Amino acid sequence: MPPDLVGQGLAWPLIDRPMSDVVCRRAGRAITVGQLLAEAATLAARLPAAAEAHAINLCADRYRMLVGFVAALLRGHVTLLNADASPARLGLLAATHAGCYVLADGTAPNGLPMVAIQLDPEPPVPGPLPPVPAIPLDRIVAVGFTSGSTAEPTAHPKPWGALVAAASAAAERFALRAADGPRATILATVPPQHMYGFETTIMLPLQAAVTIYAGASFFPSDVLDSLAALPPRRLLVTTPLHLRALLAEGRRPAPLAAVISATAPLAAGIAAAVERDWHAPMLEIYGATEAGSMASRRTIQEADWLPYRGVECRAEGVYVPGLGEVRLGDLLKAGPGGRFRLLGRRSDMVKLAGRRASLADLNRRLLEVEGVRDGVFVAPDDIERNPAARLAAYVVAPGRSVQEILAGLRAKLEPLFLPRPVWLVPSLPRDRLGKLSQRALSDLRLTTARNG
Amino acid sequence: MSSGASVPELAAPSPASPQQEAELAKLIVSVLSLEVVPEDIQPEAPLFNQGLGLDSIDALEIALAVSKTYDVKLRSDDERNHRIFASLRSLAAHIEKHRTR
Repeated sequence: MPPDLVGQGLAWPLIDRPMSDVVCRRAGRAITVGQLLAEAATLAARLPAAAEAHAINLCADRYRMLVGFVAALLRGHVTLLNADASPARLGLLAATHAGCYVLADGTAPNGLPMVAIQLDPEPPVPGPLPPVPAIPLDRIVAVGFTSGSTAEPTAHPKPWGALVAAASAAAERFALRAADGPRATILATVPPQHMYGFETTIMLPLQAAVTIYAGASFFPSDVLDSLAALPPRRLLVTTPLHLRALLAEGRRPAPLAAVISATAPLAAGIAAAVERDWHAPMLEIYGATEAGSMASRRTIQEADWLPYRGVECRAEGVYVPGLGEVRLGDLLKAGPGGRFRLLGRRSDMVKLAGRRASLADLNRRLLEVEGVRDGVFVAPDDIERNPAARLAAYVVAPGRSVQEILAGLRAKLEPLFLPRPVWLVPSLPRDRLGKLSQRALSDLRLTTARNG
Repeated sequence: MSSGASVPELAAPSPASPQQEAELAKLIVSVLSLEVVPEDIQPEAPLFNQGLGLDSIDALEIALAVSKTYDVKLRSDDERNHRIFASLRSLAAHIEKHRTR
């Protein structure tokens, strides 16, 4: 879809590919686009009747997630991209979005209306299929969330036009259009509720000539065994964290047409190892939940990012088709050939395993823990390179143990952001204004490392 | 199957020895840099979420360490996965059943 069509009151089909195409491989079976549409139409008839409603799609199974998303689209409902099934998060979503119901393939908690997605053991033979509707480009069809260190998620509404524009730009960039040769099959290690996983394994199969794999793909053994059972062209969509684990496993995967990584910058060493040991181009996508995927690069060859079609680097952020100008947490600098370079973080944001948190916010929560007089979170120097990096904390809390402090933090933070290690110190080297300089912090780090 | 036969329940693997559990606890604490001493990990307590508070990064790290140390490959495709990762005891038992070194 040409990006300049967005914003002109136009509509674009929910599914833009032939009904006989294979859209998914699941439990050894190939599922066609027509079967997907038939199953989604059946499910749509079971969804709540309200015209305006929000579907919290918790499905871990990628195909069920896809069926649920299409069903919600057929009913005009908005899908909330959230994988957190805790009662607290579901309660918060229900309080901030009208008419919430849960779509789940497991058991869903929490008193919300729930529609279970149970698929027939044999997919129905499509009879007369419902017509594929065209969806207005400016209609909000999904909401992504930046969930930082706390339970308070920030909502990022996604118009249909922005999602379609990003999908067609990705299809063009990675040769996933019908005319680009043999169908690609995508195995992804990222959940379909994460913006990156949603774009690559929910939007792409609706708009590009790809097949998604819906099966186990978390542990290295899952990924390697599943890849071996898929036909070429295989595409591995993953993260630096998974790549590190896969390389350490030492087994060479079945031949890959390409490996794509996102959520954090990929270390040059990992990129080089993939290219050398797996004989596959190692590509990276640059994206953010608020803007979607914006650019890509081949890590070993290019330091700069090549924007997707229609994406432009602007002074305060980026211009994204279907969204307009979006301010990012990263600082960008326009370079030659329309490319751009990442200069670093705009603020005190840190990113772990694709989740963001503000250090100032983490510090505030640390100081709320009973018995803590002073304290500060610090990001390790290798946080941008080491996918398994964790935050550390220096804490002044006389008479308190590390375990007590962690117990206090556990009630306030997602486990991912709990500090490892926690250093108990008599005081923090604050200056007369109460500030902690980077220099004082690194001195403190050296002293504790020596004494510890 | 004759009408009188019953499907045998999938038996849980016999538990690992306390020494083997202690060895695994030490491995987990060391690869994850946890702020607990290995002896403090309750063998029956949940490893993830409410118990020890581990997350998906940790699951990958544990899988890596278990693969290197015991040559046991952890998988998520079988139904027993939730049981294997339920506690130190269940993980140790799974490893002892499948280890080759």
